[in-house]
Amino acid sequence: MSVSTARRRRSTGITLPTRTGMVFILPALLLFGVFVLYPLITALSYSLFSWTGIVRGPFSVFENYVTLFTTLPFREQLPTAFLHNVLLFLGAMLFQNTVGLGLAVLLHRLRRFKRFFQTVFTLPYLVSPLVVGYLWSLMLSPLFGPVNYVLKAIGLGALAQPWLGNPATAIWVVVFVTAWQWVGFPVLLYGAALGGIPDEIEEAASLDGASSWQRFRDVTFPLLTPAIGTVSVLTFIGAMEAFAIPYALGGSQGSPAGATDVLSLLFYRTAFESGASNAIGTSSAIATLLFLFIFGVAILMTWLMRRAERRLY
Amino acid sequence: MRRKLLTLAAVAAGCALMLSGCAPSAAPGKGTASETGDDVTLKVWSWRTEDVEKYNTIFDVYEKAHPGVTVDFEAFQNTEYNQILTTGLAGSDGPDIPMVRAYGQLQPNIAAGQLVPIDGKVDGLDKIAPGVLAGAKGRADGKTYAVPLATQTLQMFYNKDIFAANHVTVPKTWNDFIAVNEKLQKAGVTPMALGAKDDWMLPIFSDIIGAGRYGGSAFEKKVLAGTATFQDPDYVASLQLVSDMKKFLAPDVVGVSYTDSQIQFTSGQAAQFPGGSFEIATFATQAPDLKFGSYQVPLPPKAVATKPVSPAYADGNFAINAKSPHKKAALELLNWLATPEFGQLVADDLNQFSAVPGVKYSNKIMAEAWKNYEKGQAPYLLLVDFRYGEPLGTAVLGQQVQKILLGQQNPAGAASALQTGVSQWFTPAK
Amino acid sequence: MVSITPVRPVKTTAAEPAPRNAGHSPRRRAGFSLKDGAASTLLWVYALISVAPLLLMVTNSFRTTQQMASNPLALPSALNFSSYQKAWVTASFETYFVNSMVVTIASVALSSAVSLLAAYAFARTKSKLFGAIEALFLSGLMLPVYLAILPLFFLLDSLGMISNLWSLVLVYGALGIPFSTFVLASFFRQLPVELDEAALLDGAGPFTTFYRVHLPLVRPAIATVVVFRFVPVWNDFFYPLILIRNQDAYTLPVGITRFFGEYQTDWATLFAGLTLATIPLVVLFLLATRHIVSGLTAGMSK
Repeated sequence: MSVSTARRRRSTGITLPTRTGMVFILPALLLFGVFVLYPLITALSYSLFSWTGIVRGPFSVFENYVTLFTTLPFREQLPTAFLHNVLLFLGAMLFQNTVGLGLAVLLHRLRRFKRFFQTVFTLPYLVSPLVVGYLWSLMLSPLFGPVNYVLKAIGLGALAQPWLGNPATAIWVVVFVTAWQWVGFPVLLYGAALGGIPDEIEEAASLDGASSWQRFRDVTFPLLTPAIGTVSVLTFIGAMEAFAIPYALGGSQGSPAGATDVLSLLFYRTAFESGASNAIGTSSAIATLLFLFIFGVAILMTWLMRRAERRLY
Repeated sequence: MRRKLLTLAAVAAGCALMLSGCAPSAAPGKGTASETGDDVTLKVWSWRTEDVEKYNTIFDVYEKAHPGVTVDFEAFQNTEYNQILTTGLAGSDGPDIPMVRAYGQLQPNIAAGQLVPIDGKVDGLDKIAPGVLAGAKGRADGKTYAVPLATQTLQMFYNKDIFAANHVTVPKTWNDFIAVNEKLQKAGVTPMALGAKDDWMLPIFSDIIGAGRYGGSAFEKKVLAGTATFQDPDYVASLQLVSDMKKFLAPDVVGVSYTDSQIQFTSGQAAQFPGGSFEIATFATQAPDLKFGSYQVPLPPKAVATKPVSPAYADGNFAINAKSPHKKAALELLNWLATPEFGQLVADDLNQFSAVPGVKYSNKIMAEAWKNYEKGQAPYLLLVDFRYGEPLGTAVLGQQVQKILLGQQNPAGAASALQTGVSQWFTPAK
Repeated sequence: MVSITPVRPVKTTAAEPAPRNAGHSPRRRAGFSLKDGAASTLLWVYALISVAPLLLMVTNSFRTTQQMASNPLALPSALNFSSYQKAWVTASFETYFVNSMVVTIASVALSSAVSLLAAYAFARTKSKLFGAIEALFLSGLMLPVYLAILPLFFLLDSLGMISNLWSLVLVYGALGIPFSTFVLASFFRQLPVELDEAALLDGAGPFTTFYRVHLPLVRPAIATVVVFRFVPVWNDFFYPLILIRNQDAYTLPVGITRFFGEYQTDWATLFAGLTLATIPLVVLFLLATRHIVSGLTAGMSK
C-alpha cells in the first residue's frame, strides 16, 4: 500500500509550468464555459424571474419555486414524477445491478465465450432509445406483441395484461426496459473488477473450506465494494435524469395517466408544450431543483463511498 | 482565500444575472426588406406527416398561378408539434405560415404575440361557419388570427364486408346497435377497434357513443351558461354507456395503441372503428381494397337529443408568423386558402371536410359522412370549449375513461373528476 | 443528454504486483460440472432476452405489415429488401445518416482533442486552480446538463446557429469534455515522470513532449473515450429535437421520430428503417469491442 502511494505521488510531479498549462486547458475551458457552464448558470438565474413568453419580467426570487409546490398541476405532478425517478433508481439497483453482478460473476466463473456474452449483453446499449421504446411497446402490445402471445402459449396466460396501458405496471415496464438497455455496464464494470481480484485470494478461501456462496459473500463481495459504489452513484444520476426511455415508452405526458412521468419529462412539457405564459420561469425552477438534488446526493454518495473504501483498506 | 472566493462568486453571480437578461431576443422579425417582387419562398409547417405529398401537389396549383412564389411544405411529428412550433416561433428559423391548433391550444401563441391578426385582410372569412371560425379566434380579444382548414366529424366506421358476411346491417335503433355488436362478438370478430392506450382517443369515443344521451348542443349551451355541470345525471349516464361498451372492445384494450387499432380495422380483425373523419384518408391509403362506410350511433333510451348526431370540431388553421419577413406574400397565400378552389382541393386531394363552404365531396364515404353530419350536428364538446386552460378537459376525461376501462373508476367518479379538473380555470359566462 | 459511462479506478488489495491470472487458472477442472451447466444456461437465457427485440426487428423488416398483423411471431417467408429501399430512398434516411456521421465524428473529434490537451495539463501540473477546474469539469458528469437547454437555445439563436449542424457539433463537443478529461487524466497520471524528464533532457518543449511522448502511450484510453462518446452522441435525439428544425439537417434519431409519424402503420418500412439506423453502431462496436473491454479493464485493475 505504501509503495503504490509513493509511486502515485511521484507520478503527479510538476512538469508543466502553470502558464503553459493554461494554454493546454484553454480550448476545453472555453468550449465548456460557453456551452455548458454559461447555460447552467443562466438557467439557474432564469428561475428567479417571472416571464411572459420570452420576455423577462420582474425579479421574483422564489415565486417560481413556490408555484411548483402549491399550484396545480405541479403540486401533484412534481411529487409523482419524483417518486417515479426514485422507483427507477431502486428498480435499477434491484434488477439492473444485481442481474449485472450475477451475470458478471457467472461469466467470471465460466470464462468460455466470455467475449461473446459481453458483446451480446452490451448490444442493447447501442440501440437508440427511441427504437428501444418502440420495439418494446410493440412487443408488449396485447394484440400484436409476442410477449403476451408467448405467455399464453406456455400456459401463463393469466400474466398477460396491457403492460403499457395499466398505470400499475407501466412504470415497471420502464424500469425493466431501462435495465435491459443498460445491463451491459454493470456486467463490464464488475467483470473488470472481478478480474482484478487475484485468484490466490479465492483459492485461499476455498482451501479454508468455504462454500461457493460463502466465498462470494465474505471475500469477493467486500472486494467489490468500490466498484459497487461507483456503479451505484452512476445509476443514481442516470435514474434521476432519465428522459429517453420514459419518453419513448410513454410520450412526453408520461402516459398512461402520468404513470411513467419523470422529472425531465415534466421539465420538457413545462418548457415547450404547456404554452403557459411563465413556462421559462417554472421550467427553470424544476431544472434548478433537479440540479441541486442530483449534485448534492451524488456528492454525498461519493463521500460515503470514499469513507467505506478507506475503512476497507 | 475565502474572501477571494466570495468575491469571485459574487462577480460570477452578477455576470450571470446580466447575461440572462440579454440572451433571449424579444425583438420583432427581421424587417420587411424582402417585400419586393422577387422570388419568395414561403415556409408552411404542419403536423400532417401523412399528407406531405398531397400538400405538395396542392401547392403546385398555387405556385403555377403565382410565378416567383415557391411554397415549401414541411410536416413534423404530431406529438412534438407543439414544442416544435413554440421553439420555431420563438427563434429565427420559424415558418412563414404555421398550421396551428384550434380553440384553446391556439391561445398561447396569440398571447405571446406570435401571430398576425387577419380581420379584414383575408376575403372569405365571413363565409365560414361561425362555430368553425371560433376555433381561429383569440378568446381575449375576439380577433381572428388564422384561416380554418377543416372540419372533422366523429362517427362509427364499419367494414361492409364483415357486416355482410355476418348478416348484420347498419343499426337504426339502440337495441339494434347492441344486437349487432353481440352478433359480431359471437362470430369471433372484435366488434369495435379502440386504441385506449392513447388516451386522446377516449373523449372521441365517449362523444361518439354518448353525445346523443347527454344532449349535444343543448348541453353545451347549459354548461357554458353555468346551468349544468358535468355531474349532471345525463352526462354521467353517457359515461355509463361508454363503460357498458367495454365488453365489445378487445381484451386489455388499454394496452392497444392507436396505430394498433387502425391496423386492427384495416386488416379486418375488427368490424367497426369509432373515429374521426380524418381516418378516411388514412384507411384509404393503408387498405385501398377495404370497403367501409360510416353511421351515427343510434339514440339510446332516455337520450336528451332528438336525433342521432355526429360530434364535430374545427381542426387546424393557417396563421401568419409575426416574425415572417414575407408577410405580404404570406397574406396572399392565406387569401387563397380561404377560397372554394382550395376548399375543393382539400376535399379531393386530402379527403378532408373543408372549412370553406360550397365544396362538393365526390368520395362516397366522405359524402355519406357529411350528409349524416348535416342531418344531426353536435360539438365535440371537450375539445371545442374545454381546452382554454390547464388541465385540458380532453386530457382529464381521457385519463378517467382509461381508468373506467381498467375497472378502477365508475362513471360518477369520472364525471366528478372532470368537473373538478375544468373548474380549475373554467368559469361559466353568466 | 449526458450518458454516464464509468471508468473509475478500483483499488485492489494487491500490495505488491502479484501475477495476474487474467486467463486460465490451473485449478479449473477440465470437466463441465452441473454448476457450470446451470451458469451456462442462465447466461444463454439472458443472452436471448438481450437480443430478442433486436432479432424481432430484423426479421420483421423482411415481412409485410399484413403478415405482422396476423402473426406476430413468425419468420419471414422470403428475403424482401424492398422495404429497405423505401426507407433509405423515400424516407430520406441517406440524408439523416450523413448528418449523423458528420455531427458525431466532428463532435467526438473536437471533445477528444480539447480533452487530451486539458487532461495532460491536469495530470502534469500541481496548482489549486487546475484542481478546481478539473473538479468543475467533473461536476459536468453529475448534472443533467440538458436541463439548461433554454439558455442554450437562445444563445444559439442569437448567433444565428439554430437548425445548423455545427451548433450540435459544438454542444456535443462541450458535453464530452467531463467524461473525456476524466478518463484521459487518469491515464496520463499513470505515465511515469521519467519520460518527461528524459524528453526535457533531449531539449523538447512541453507541446512536443505531449505530442511525441505521451500521446502515443494513451491510445487505449483515446479509443475508449471515442467509443463511449460516439454511442450517446449518435443516439441523442434531445438536442436535435429542440435545436434543429430544418429537415435537411435532421440527424438519424430525429429522422426516426419523423419516420414514426409518416410510417406508423407501414410496419414493413418502419422496421427496415429502424434496422438501418441501428447497424452502424453495431458494426462500430464489434470492431472496437477489444478496445472497450481492454480500456475498461486497464483503467480498473491496475
